[in-house]
Amino acid sequence: MSETATPSKTEKKRAINRLKSMYPLRNVVQQDYIDTLKASNEGKPTVWSMLNYWEGDLPLKAMGLNIVYPENYATLLAASGAAEPFLDASDSDGFPTHMCGYGRSTIGYSYRMMKENGGKIPPDAPLGGMAKPALLLGSGIICDARFKWFQSLARYFDAPEWCLEMPMMATYEGSEPDLEAYQVKFLVKELKDFIAFLEKLFKQKMDWAKLEELTDLAVKIHETTYKISELRQSIPGPMHATDFWSSMPPSLFFAGDMKVSLKCYQDMLAEVQERVNNKVSGINYPERYRLIFAELPPWHSLKFFDSLAEMGWNFVFESFGYHAPKPPDLSKYSDPCEKLARLSRNFMFNVFPEAKADNIQNPIVETYLKIARGFKADGFFMHPLISCRAASCSLRTVQHWEQEKLDVPSLWVEGDIIDKRVFNPQEVLARAEAFEQTMDHYRKVRKSRGLDW
Amino acid sequence: MVTATTKGLSRAHEIYADRGKRVRELRKAGKKIIGYICLYPPIEIITAMGMVPFRIFGDMSEPITVADKVSTTVVCPFLRSIIDLGIKGKFDFLDGAVGAHTCDIGMTTIIAWRDYIKDAPFTHLIDVPHTDHAPAVDYFEGQINFFKQHIEELAGEKLSGDKLKKACELHNKQRKLVRDLYDLRKSDPPRLNSMENLEVMVSLFSLPVEEGNELLEAVIREVKERSIKPAKKKARLLVWGPVFDNTSLYELVESTGADVVVDDTCVGTRAFWADVKAPYDLHALAQRYLVDIKCPRTYRDTQHQETERSYDKDLDSRFSYIKKAVTDWHVNGVVLQSVKYCDTHGYEVPNLRHYLDTLGIPSIYIEHDYSERSLAPIKTRVEAFVETLG
Ligand code: SF4
Ligand code: SF4
Repeated sequence: MSETATPSKTEKKRAINRLKSMYPLRNVVQQDYIDTLKASNEGKPTVWSMLNYWEGDLPLKAMGLNIVYPENYATLLAASGAAEPFLDASDSDGFPTHMCGYGRSTIGYSYRMMKENGGKIPPDAPLGGMAKPALLLGSGIICDARFKWFQSLARYFDAPEWCLEMPMMATYEGSEPDLEAYQVKFLVKELKDFIAFLEKLFKQKMDWAKLEELTDLAVKIHETTYKISELRQSIPGPMHATDFWSSMPPSLFFAGDMKVSLKCYQDMLAEVQERVNNKVSGINYPERYRLIFAELPPWHSLKFFDSLAEMGWNFVFESFGYHAPKPPDLSKYSDPCEKLARLSRNFMFNVFPEAKADNIQNPIVETYLKIARGFKADGFFMHPLISCRAASCSLRTVQHWEQEKLDVPSLWVEGDIIDKRVFNPQEVLARAEAFEQTMDHYRKVRKSRGLDW
Repeated sequence: MVTATTKGLSRAHEIYADRGKRVRELRKAGKKIIGYICLYPPIEIITAMGMVPFRIFGDMSEPITVADKVSTTVVCPFLRSIIDLGIKGKFDFLDGAVGAHTCDIGMTTIIAWRDYIKDAPFTHLIDVPHTDHAPAVDYFEGQINFFKQHIEELAGEKLSGDKLKKACELHNKQRKLVRDLYDLRKSDPPRLNSMENLEVMVSLFSLPVEEGNELLEAVIREVKERSIKPAKKKARLLVWGPVFDNTSLYELVESTGADVVVDDTCVGTRAFWADVKAPYDLHALAQRYLVDIKCPRTYRDTQHQETERSYDKDLDSRFSYIKKAVTDWHVNGVVLQSVKYCDTHGYEVPNLRHYLDTLGIPSIYIEHDYSERSLAPIKTRVEAFVETLG
């Protein structure tokens, strides 16, 4: 279907054509853990936060506080093969085993730190580990685990807690005429209370000018990453999913210095644009199939994507929940809390008008229909997780409607983000080969229906 | 209808065995039946509009066979059962279905209902905030208002303050009667067992509030007249956890030589312990549902705005109502039960057990997949637990 970059004859061909601009972004996160630990050793507080779609990140950063994200740290535990003793510790302290793998591994981390190691970081913790929290910042966005898990951490740390609010709504009620104003009012009140609490806890004033500056930077970062996502619709797909997963944290939770991150994403945009201009693919094999990955990846087995790339499977898009949507125009609002509320709320509500117009009840389905059309997907790789409800519960309906409305089939592979024992790469590869025939078949069906891919 | 001569418990048994029977009759007579999932849709509004609130439950004895096309297997099996029954047409007597964001899957259930269950043309989803912060209560009041407006459209008339007040009073009366009924289990042995109690509770969720109140009055009369047999058992247990709408778990526990004398579940005390307070307006409803219902789905911020936090104080603020129940019903053991994949309850388990340890109350945690089949293997563990209490 397309031309690919040709490696020299002597070097072993790498299956995935990694973007050079990905590496500095990946380093931002690693450096952030190291810097935060260093700051903690110097007596500065560390905040443990859940992903909060920016409404918590930016006020904390504006006050110069150091933040770690256990949810992200858990992916590092899994990717470095270090998760098991932490999962076991969570089990031994009585937490049910079916719960979020990120939650279980960092509950286990906290248990080992506080109950076995006298408050010191467990020696096998990657990247030096996470220092003890001065604040536990949970959030109500996306999943129940995000606040229940942090509430549970109080079992190990007497740190104060806060739970950030965010409305959740489905299509019909999500388009009530008065809804937006009233939701923003709610979020602004909550944010003001939250900031007042931060001031009291850390005995310092909010730097409102800094908060505005960071919100503006956030918008610029998201405008850039959004442009990268749009460019990824090109054929061949210029950026593989693994590059996205490695480079997303500075846009998902603004790890590191946001000015540096913005520059890195601008470099990434330029590199992706160049690939598009020259029809360079994100894999070093001819792109035979364009796949979408839904939803959270098997962090413990990312190498597995090399084998699929060798088969010509290009994962051209992935994990919608990790992507910032096109940011809203915030220029007409003067209150920094309102800007923040609108930026954050936009993640939850940007797709509602379209979903309603399409007569789709589940906005996640609508999002993935849009993605399948825009990216001319040949198939979905559905990855329901044994330990995460939020990222798994809609996948059956997504599968159903992709097939029904667009004749795009799915490969259904049960697995987990953390627990590698439930993932069998050999078996999946065997099923993948058979799935190629299904994708070939539906390519013809789509053409016969007048769809253009 | 319960008359002075009808035995309340046998009537409850009949309703429990065929939950849809009475509402089908009412529907034929022109009443609108509005189904709702979990405890958070404010049923007072449905009653005030002259409609009948009907709590939607699953069915533990019916295998899940068609829900797989809608939901993954790793989510709450209770909600999967509801979807399964819905697709099979078992809720064909409903005019509407109301859901709330009580938990992640609770929300997606009502979304899936819209696509896959055609029986209830009116659907509404209420967003429930995660915390009990004051702005969250105001926000929730707004959500209740959207619901009110939507149901007014269905009814073709506006809801008056008087009607809402009357409905609140009727439901509060029901709550008071349920508390009276639970008082009858404080004796040793209790005057009614947990299976009988559950049948009454399930009946209340299947009847208009006035009929439920009549049933309760009849049951209370009947139970008070019973003579207590002096057959005391080894253990007086409290059962904790999410929805349990089937007597099989209680049968299992009581068969091990224990009395279940009280519960903290959403088919029992959790549904009836808190009243709506005057002036019975939407704000009072928001307060009752978001703040006063004690369900782990809400982050009860017991040390809101405090910069020093104490874990023990937090546990005591969150669970002292359980301590009170333990004292009042003379409980000597707690069974924590949950369906698999319930995150809101799962995270609560080690903390609640720790709290019970500090009270010197032994506890056990059991997990099942909301099928009668999954209960059998639990029995040996419960037996061993009850043995230690003897
Ligand atoms: S979305 Fe899933 S994986 Fe992420 S924190 Fe929530 S439960 Fe865990
Ligand atoms: S049992 Fe748990 S997951 Fe299921 S509906 Fe209740 S709260 Fe939600």
